Amino acid sequence: MWIERKALAQEIPAAAGLEIRELCEVLASLGFPVDGVAAREGSEALDVDITANRGDAMSHRGIAREVAARLGQPLTPLPPSAPEGAPLLEVRLEAAACPVYATAVLELGPGETPESAQAFLRALEATPKKLPAVDASNELLHRYGHPTHAFDADAIRGAVSVRWARPGETITTLDGVTRSLATADLVIADEAGPIALAGVMGGDATKVSATTRRVLLESAWFDARTVRATARRHSLHTDASHRFGRGADPAMARIARDLLVLRLQTWCQARLLGAWTAGAEPQRGTAVVLEAGLLTRIAGESLDLPQAAEALQRLGCSVVATAGSLSVLPPTWRHDLNIPEDLAEEVLRLRGYEHIPSALPPLEGPPEHLAPAYLQRQALARRLAHLGFHQTVTYGFISPEADSTFAGPANPPEGRTLANPLGYEYSVLRGSLLPSLVVSAGQNARQGARQIRLFELAPTYLSGPSGPREQATLAVVWGGVLGGEDPFSPARSVQEADLAGLARDLGIQDGPAIHRLAEGLFGFEVSLAALPLPQDRIIPAFRPFSRFPAVERDLSLLVPLGLGHETLRQAMASALPADALQDLRCVDVFRHRSLPEGRQAWLMRLRFQADRTLVGAEVDGWMAAALAAAEALGASLRA
Amino acid sequence: MDQLLPPEIDEAARSFASALAACGDLNALMRLKGAYVGREGSHAARMMDLLKAAPKEHKRELGAQINAYKQQWEEALKGRQTDLESAKKAQDALAAGWDPTLPPPVPAAGALHPLNRLMDRLVDVFRPLGFHVEEGPEVETEAHNFDGLNIPDDHPAKASSDTFYLAAHPELLLRTHTSPVQVRTLLRVAPTLAERGGIRFLAPGRVYRKDEIDPTHSPMFHQVEGMLVGHGIGMQHLKGTLEYALRTLFGPHTEIRLRPSYFPFVEPGCEVDVSCPLCGATGCRVCKGSGWVEILGAGLIHPNVLTYAGIDPTVWSGWAFGMGVERMSMMLSQTPDLRLFFENDQRFLKAMGGLD
Ligand SMILES: [Zn+2]
Repeated sequence: MWIERKALAQEIPAAAGLEIRELCEVLASLGFPVDGVAAREGSEALDVDITANRGDAMSHRGIAREVAARLGQPLTPLPPSAPEGAPLLEVRLEAAACPVYATAVLELGPGETPESAQAFLRALEATPKKLPAVDASNELLHRYGHPTHAFDADAIRGAVSVRWARPGETITTLDGVTRSLATADLVIADEAGPIALAGVMGGDATKVSATTRRVLLESAWFDARTVRATARRHSLHTDASHRFGRGADPAMARIARDLLVLRLQTWCQARLLGAWTAGAEPQRGTAVVLEAGLLTRIAGESLDLPQAAEALQRLGCSVVATAGSLSVLPPTWRHDLNIPEDLAEEVLRLRGYEHIPSALPPLEGPPEHLAPAYLQRQALARRLAHLGFHQTVTYGFISPEADSTFAGPANPPEGRTLANPLGYEYSVLRGSLLPSLVVSAGQNARQGARQIRLFELAPTYLSGPSGPREQATLAVVWGGVLGGEDPFSPARSVQEADLAGLARDLGIQDGPAIHRLAEGLFGFEVSLAALPLPQDRIIPAFRPFSRFPAVERDLSLLVPLGLGHETLRQAMASALPADALQDLRCVDVFRHRSLPEGRQAWLMRLRFQADRTLVGAEVDGWMAAALAAAEALGASLRA
Repeated sequence: MDQLLPPEIDEAARSFASALAACGDLNALMRLKGAYVGREGSHAARMMDLLKAAPKEHKRELGAQINAYKQQWEEALKGRQTDLESAKKAQDALAAGWDPTLPPPVPAAGALHPLNRLMDRLVDVFRPLGFHVEEGPEVETEAHNFDGLNIPDDHPAKASSDTFYLAAHPELLLRTHTSPVQVRTLLRVAPTLAERGGIRFLAPGRVYRKDEIDPTHSPMFHQVEGMLVGHGIGMQHLKGTLEYALRTLFGPHTEIRLRPSYFPFVEPGCEVDVSCPLCGATGCRVCKGSGWVEILGAGLIHPNVLTYAGIDPTVWSGWAFGMGVERMSMMLSQTPDLRLFFENDQRFLKAMGGLD
């Protein structure tokens, strides 16, 4: 919100002596940081950040109250209230959401909005309408924070009532939009229908124009929740709805009316025909009790209770001190002081948070461990990064098409679809990480990456009856050229086998499906449940190992295509003594036209070791047995 | 004396040094050796012949002369041979082995994502104070995301213009902050809070808000939430903990500053500034010359939050903070565009994330 410096000094004269930097520091330390300062109309306008709980600070007077409380300096007094008279027109308050409605009727004179008021409005980026009744209302809002409205009194038919809208009613608001009203909308109505959306915007039919002769003023108080709901329902967020919606000061209803009358009298020689008020200010809330113990706990040190009382009084609170506590009635403009903690905050705020001491909280119980699932992810990420993979972060939602590639029929997208996505391409909570990684891989490829090594650790979503279930998932993609970047590592393309090896090294049970994602790009995806959790036991039981020499023998076999390695390995292993066989696997593959049709050559390497020196004849016997087992599966010794 | 030896010998003696220097390898040296001190036809052999034929009275003198020449030549040849042999050895070694001036095989250099790395770092910073990590789902209920955090039911953040909801489950949403982890954790530990001696944890994670993608906005981003519940916890404990953490993160001379602010789930609430880590608080572009940068929001847990979880706020109290991971990372690294974090260019990840 813009605060014009001269206007602020008119409310709190002591602020005039502050340099702009000092003023900004005072405001920031009170909880109103200044986002910027702009030179406007021969003065400076401060862009003050006001939090949602402080509707009372949304005006020059509101900010002035804060500065005055901090500096301990007086505010400029408001002019005394003018006497009221008999109602010139019936004003009926039919809804509790509007307990007080101060009004007046004036006959406008020839004068115009003074240049000083126009400059003030321009400094706040508001546009003067050069209609004194409109500009004065606007100027009052920015200066005192209380929204008011002026109707063309001659356009109003019959009595005025503040009531809930009736089914089917409409209103054309000042912005020219015709709106269908809900019965939860509070309206100002005459006998023909709604003439204003209460606390939000006036109606077009009763607006003040250059030809308006008489005005009916409105300076009321509307329930914050009602105004918020109406503003949201009609997407109509105005200066008035912001202030009523955050809680205006009911005591300001009459005062703002008087100020408005005064302005019209001086600005355009308006003649007051009558001023009166319907209803009364709502009862003030009950007092909040601040115990010394609570204040001490929050402040981190024992604070002097009379000093705390004095601070609260400077903020406008009525305070009654008893032994060890303060009974505090907040001022009518503060709707955010409801519990003792709120009052403690005010005491600390006025004193300055820089005075809060610093201490480490004492440990009251043993620290907890990090969860195995968390440690698993951390270890996995580091492992993959050390292996040369780059961790990615991609959005959790993707397009239905991308999702359908890997999600599978058991995971229909309907249960994972957003009601209000940013767009179609971000509408489904992904059932797989792979589509996102394929996009990242493609981008890296286009950027000329020679090798692409990416992984992501993130949840995937599984549609379920009570909503999407999250599954911690690892996906890896790998593609491009391996090696060839130094004199020692020959270049070759990344292959499926590389991913299978990686999956095995990570400890994934049952090798995952390796997907060919694009030309030369492969990937796999597993639920982290398929990966081993970090072991608690870092000192395992000792397992003895042989100190006798090992014997290694190769067996070159012609193997029928289609015979699986694991089948062959198991058959051969079962023919050999389990305590002596250390390792058995294919170490080389040869495929060529010269081989018999339907055959390939596998070089099987067998490694034996036992708790004694193995003799040649013994090993020869084992090799024969292994060969026989292979032959039983259709393999033969390669000549 | 000179007349004792023929002029060609004297000439050979004079040119010996330059001939020796001209020998570039062992073969040339062997040829030179043969010419000067070889058994046959060499200058030395020739001199021995002269000595034999010399008159008796000259023999002694001539012999000394010849020996001096021979000794000089042999020593010089031997020294040169040693030099050439060691040079050849070195050459052979280079040809046979690894050339240490060549680059070794390139490292398998991958990287953690910079956001994950920063979150991990924050966990590391808080671990010594006894904080552990709590996590929660990204698909949350309105109750956990809003109601349990003292957020009024007509709060604008609940609007479908701000928060993503699920089509088939209107009560479910994508969490808009990591704060629902507070609610879940407090609800879970409430019955055993006394035995535990309170609780203190961090909750890092991904959150979603309905913002269009641009250089400073993303519909998904990361937060780290911190919470502590104990007896008699006040603002001094918040300040002390954050001072410790931010000094660990940014260096021992780091100062912090608390400013009043408002979040529905804390009371009192504050923004926390840290003395600018980039310029040492002397003023720079990042801190806009102020020497301070806003780093997180915090406060004492609102009694309504404790009450919602079934924890008596007259017995227990605590603090909470929340920080935006991207914001912090962007500010401190001066990364110009938020979208870089989600494009996953390997060069960016390597440079910004790296490995510890
Ligand atoms: Zn700086």
